Amino acid sequence: MKIKVFFLILCLALGFASIAVAQTEEPPKGGTPKDFVLPPRATISFDNGLDVILVPYGNIPKTMVKVVVRAGNVDEAPDEIWIADLLGNLLKEGTLTLTGEELAFKAAGMGGAINVSVGANQTTVSLEVLSEFTPQAIALLGDFLINPLFPESEIERLKSDLLRELSIQQSQPGAIALEKFRKVLYGDDHSYGRIFPTEEMIQSFSIEKVRNFYEANFGAIRSDLYIIGKFDSRGAKRAAAAAFGNWKTGVESEPTVPAPTTQRAVYLVDRPGAPQSNLMIGLPVVDPSEPDYIPLVVTNTLLGGYFSSRITANIREDKGYTYSPYSTLSVRYRDAYWVETANVTTEVTGPAIQEILKEIERLREEPPPDEELEGVQNYMSGSFVRQNSSKSGIAAQLAFLKLHGLDESYLLDYVKNVLAVSPEAISEMATKYIRPNDLTIVVVGDKEKVLKQIRDFGEVKE
Amino acid sequence: MKFRNIFNLLLLVGVAGLLISVQACQPEAESAEVGRLQVPVEYHKLDNGLRVVLSPDDTAPIVIVGVYYNIGFRIEPRDRTGFAHLFEHMMFQGSKNLGKMEFVQLVQRNGGALNGSTRFDYTNYYEILPSHALETALWAEADRMAGLDITQENLTNQQGVVGNEVKASVLNQPYGGFPWLDMPQVANENWYNAHNFYGDLEDLQAATLEDVQEFFHRYYSPNNAVVVLSGDFDPKEALVMIEKYFGDIPKTELPDPPDLSEPEQTEAKRENKVDPLANRPALAFAYHMPERQTPEYFAMGILDQILLQGDDSRLNQVLVKDRGYTGSVDGGINYLLGNQFNYSGPMLWMGSLFHDSTVSPDQVVSAINEVMEEVTINEVTQSEFERALVKVRSQFYDIVGQMYGFGKVDLLASFALFDDDPNLINEVEKRFEEVTPELLLATAQQYLRPERQTILTVEVGAESQVKEGK
Repeated sequence: MKIKVFFLILCLALGFASIAVAQTEEPPKGGTPKDFVLPPRATISFDNGLDVILVPYGNIPKTMVKVVVRAGNVDEAPDEIWIADLLGNLLKEGTLTLTGEELAFKAAGMGGAINVSVGANQTTVSLEVLSEFTPQAIALLGDFLINPLFPESEIERLKSDLLRELSIQQSQPGAIALEKFRKVLYGDDHSYGRIFPTEEMIQSFSIEKVRNFYEANFGAIRSDLYIIGKFDSRGAKRAAAAAFGNWKTGVESEPTVPAPTTQRAVYLVDRPGAPQSNLMIGLPVVDPSEPDYIPLVVTNTLLGGYFSSRITANIREDKGYTYSPYSTLSVRYRDAYWVETANVTTEVTGPAIQEILKEIERLREEPPPDEELEGVQNYMSGSFVRQNSSKSGIAAQLAFLKLHGLDESYLLDYVKNVLAVSPEAISEMATKYIRPNDLTIVVVGDKEKVLKQIRDFGEVKE
Repeated sequence: MKFRNIFNLLLLVGVAGLLISVQACQPEAESAEVGRLQVPVEYHKLDNGLRVVLSPDDTAPIVIVGVYYNIGFRIEPRDRTGFAHLFEHMMFQGSKNLGKMEFVQLVQRNGGALNGSTRFDYTNYYEILPSHALETALWAEADRMAGLDITQENLTNQQGVVGNEVKASVLNQPYGGFPWLDMPQVANENWYNAHNFYGDLEDLQAATLEDVQEFFHRYYSPNNAVVVLSGDFDPKEALVMIEKYFGDIPKTELPDPPDLSEPEQTEAKRENKVDPLANRPALAFAYHMPERQTPEYFAMGILDQILLQGDDSRLNQVLVKDRGYTGSVDGGINYLLGNQFNYSGPMLWMGSLFHDSTVSPDQVVSAINEVMEEVTINEVTQSEFERALVKVRSQFYDIVGQMYGFGKVDLLASFALFDDDPNLINEVEKRFEEVTPELLLATAQQYLRPERQTILTVEVGAESQVKEGK
């Protein structure tokens, strides 16, 4: 097996303007902005398609070993919702040479635990250990992913756990709102619209079905290994080659791209007696592969994406309707939606929606003042530095590029592109993408008290 | 075989009209040094009593400013439950030079993130900023330590916000407040440790501007606070700035600390809570912790690893794997409100799990008790002991590294406020290593006795079937 090593050096000079808010005594301007250098990293590409990304980072004697597999709920058949989650749980039950208990003991003996997290597009398996155990941790994760045992003896217990989790999630108002919102946008035909399985579905799962899902979706070509932290680089590379170099290539990921519905509609899920209404107000927008994405992220930040944003300033700091409202761009492979999420006091459900719509309209009609936009841009530049200043943040950024098929320039040009957005462009983005006439409004709350408050926003469906 | 281009990019970005700067960098050496953590600590006290801890770290061009006040939610007026937390919100509502929203805007416009929180024994405020903005943040923190300027309108607004916080976190959530808010109310006897820390909605609504000013004058003074800096800064320059902005804030006479002590628990307790929003029953258990900084306290940190932390822990092996009662048992010391180090006073070690109605709470309790009894009878094996030591060290490093190093700020602040010795951060590993299997056994026998246990069960309420209107 041949291994090629490339070093990627990313240096990024970042500056910030210190901006003062008008007040009695001017705040000190602060010092000279320092340059920010993206942590240098080395990438090794194996013949089987797996990339190993090594990032020496920080001074705490720990290493994060993480494998991101581009497989997840999106790859599930309509009658196998959450089988990716069951697979994640079953992986922990042992390999061909280690029982589940031995796996847990070994990981713990290195100071860590194997965590599996299953998302729409990615399954992430990670283990953070004391630095001296880095090679062993790489070897253990390799065995974990490549040689799963899938013991029949454990599946009934794991299915019970899944049924319990389903039941608990379905009692949470936030999850109920998300399910409704996704169902309206994507329907039953796409995995993004299928948040919860039925109990019958879970009961029908078998080792064979799990194994089939694993065989179809797991393999080197869909996976990358991240080694981030304080570690001996030579030992880590050797361990990576030994552990992952012979993994089967597998099949490239080809997730189906959804065609989400755009419609102005109001959906009410009744929750009798609820003291708050859980709101999700949003619509499909462009995903990270589109040039409008970054200007839209800036627009979102200004509108509702951070504490100083307009919607938060209005419905929290001015009106006191809610505690932690936020808007976000929720992204998946070749798919995204913008959504404002807020839990508001039942009695002010209607006024809260009204204010959110008002802030959207205002931004569409009038470009924001320079100073406000500059504040957002500085905040986002600072956030970018933070995102690249932790082990998990670095891994998340790099996995984001991989998932969306973006090249390094996305990171290198990110701050520049954020700063290039003009006030006019913000209004254009709002006008183009955040269209009140196309917003889906989901309300989970006390129907008796809420219905009359939300009738004005459109025909209320259940 | 995939071929890649070799990148050797130097990227130049000037922000907001500033000069474009150039910097070359080299990938790090092949091998990194591996070893024990040593946190740099500089400790100072200003004439007004303000404690200052400086811990430089140039990993990233970021600086973290933590301002911690030695007042937590345990100590709040008896007819004003939840007031310490409501007050935390008021610290963002206006000071002499910064009006409502302006503190937040100032930090965010300078590229920073910020927050505050209220815990058992402190209330903290922090900013994570590009390092050049340090002075701006210090000025702003000093401005609000010097005095608040709050209107009735702002108070009313935040009463609404906090009321919504309580609804979102507790009242409108299945298992809201379980077990972190509920368990102290059941397991503790002393009101300071056993009241509703989030607050009753009526108490929150009853708070007045006079309450706010009174609370501020009583607890928010430099001699009841610590300023901690960690990150990329020059300690000498930073100390000058802190002296400049905080040095003139007058010290005050602090009230005598109340008696927080808990009576020795001599009988096991058990309480049940009916939760109409829950779909599945849940159960939590708790024991009182040994006093902070004692050998037994560190032994409990290791017992926590052996019994509760991770898939390999005894409770997880027995309740999850052997019995199949639950998907996981979670918990810890100062569970969900902090960690083993950032409190001062009586504390609980607790764990919790969700189970099915087909399994009775008694069955779960009896499985827990088997595990707890075993650890009070037999010494742990050498291999299990060593594994726990590795885990506890690893978890400690995670705490230190949390949130770009904010975890380190939190530890330094806690050791400065509660022990007057932030250097204790560098003693923690040693203290854990001094624990022996014999001490573990003795600690378990003393602190994990059946009569020191509290059980809290969550019963699925009659109206639990929330209509989903589908």
